[in-house]
Amino acid sequence: MKHIGHGNKEIVERVIASPSEAKERVKGLTQVAITGRIARECIDIAYGFFTPLDGFMGKADVATVCQKMTLTNGTLWSMPIVFDITGEEIREKGIKVGDTVLLVYQNTALAILEVGDIFNYDRTEMAQAVLGTTDGRHPGVRMFNDLRDTFIGGKVTLVNIPRFNPPFDKFWYTPKQFRAKFKEKGWERIVAHQTRNVPHSGHEWLMKGAWFSANGELPVEKLRTGILVSCIIGPKRVGDYIDEAIVLGQQRLHDARYFRDDIHMVSIALWDMRYAGPKEAIFHAILRENMGCTHHMFGRDHAGVGTYYDPYDAHRIFDQIPKGSLNIKPVRILAWWYCPICGEVTYSGLCGHSQEKQDFSGTMIRSMVQDKVKPTKLIFRPEVFDNLMESADKYGFGSPFCTEEYLSKRQPVFELPPL
Amino acid sequence: MAETCSVNLWINEERYDRLNKIGLTNATKDVLAGMKVLQLQCTKEQKDRILTLYPMAKWDSATTKSIELLPAEAKDRLFNLVIEKGVLNIIEEFLKGVNQMY
Repeated sequence: MKHIGHGNKEIVERVIASPSEAKERVKGLTQVAITGRIARECIDIAYGFFTPLDGFMGKADVATVCQKMTLTNGTLWSMPIVFDITGEEIREKGIKVGDTVLLVYQNTALAILEVGDIFNYDRTEMAQAVLGTTDGRHPGVRMFNDLRDTFIGGKVTLVNIPRFNPPFDKFWYTPKQFRAKFKEKGWERIVAHQTRNVPHSGHEWLMKGAWFSANGELPVEKLRTGILVSCIIGPKRVGDYIDEAIVLGQQRLHDARYFRDDIHMVSIALWDMRYAGPKEAIFHAILRENMGCTHHMFGRDHAGVGTYYDPYDAHRIFDQIPKGSLNIKPVRILAWWYCPICGEVTYSGLCGHSQEKQDFSGTMIRSMVQDKVKPTKLIFRPEVFDNLMESADKYGFGSPFCTEEYLSKRQPVFELPPL
Repeated sequence: MAETCSVNLWINEERYDRLNKIGLTNATKDVLAGMKVLQLQCTKEQKDRILTLYPMAKWDSATTKSIELLPAEAKDRLFNLVIEKGVLNIIEEFLKGVNQMY
């Protein structure tokens, strides 16, 4: 069965599943060591998460993405997907267009890259185009600034299938597997909830509100709309929630039946956030379109950071793209707050007690936990809090937040078996 | 009007008892269906100084307009200053103390 992804292109897996065939294919290839970001993006490309991309972008695609927010063929695309390398390494290894190189992650073969283009591109221009700023305090700008000076464009094929470690193994699906899972569940509409957070009630109600929106006119006796929680797995910093607490916290909401079993599913996605606000929202929509979702929830300040973007820029950008350029619908949602008059967590678009409302956020709840205060159950489910503490003991070396110890000693999300 | 923000000190039983001893429990605010918080107000300039001293802290500009994720020792020092001085207006004192430490 054909699965159609973004740009109306078929989702094609570029994976050599047979180890003996893979061994044969990589024999004698020049090796290039890659970073964690590039490894994650190789996996994404190879399984079709970035359809229609079949590799890292060449210069022409990077230019049109930066200038027009499209690929050279006109397909909507907001984020340069680039393979950076030093010019020195290119020279030393004699890498040239037409070559195939072996990409090695943590001393193990991961993928092959067919060199289609070698080029330079102004990284500041890239940052300005994608992020709308070149301010070095913006984490996305720092990421672009840290790119090495030369780029290789070309097709990527996985030669080694990553093995996801527990607890992540239960939450990892490829786009084709997602689609099979949705079919098995009988879901016709799937609304994606992108997250990097242990869920509080605001998140829970965002998801529930998005479900109502997505379900729309469908019959309700037998539900055919599902929520896909898509936890972003990428680089971590000291003070962030540990990945295990996030993924298992989302699952705990499910297990504690704050969501019905037949309408909710937790998963992971490999992606290094650029914090590009509106342009990242477009990218997230494309990613979830490829995963088989029909709707994507966008809350306040989606993928934003600091005050670089208006809280609703990531909503408005969907009004600025050509009709039909995405096969996924944005579900735009305002904030949820606690209202002491209503006595509940309620939607700011419905509750009229704006003078009395009490805002809360994931950051505020992290502060409470740091202050050793258990949040009330109306804003943070006790089961999720218990999970946070269990994850701290089991995975976080005593802390639910990333510490230097966690970052250096944690079990990796995935590993590569020796080829 | 000048921009103001707050540092939230979440009050557990131990902190509540200490506030009670100096008669400051009425300075706490009941929020979020049963939580107690002590909100220390600071100016924009003080906020910027705090964020420079504690780069891991976060100014939650989008939702709560408060400085969050200060390290535990900084929050303990803020709370201890409140107890010692018996007032909430201790941010300047706190900043002076931090500057002397470095």
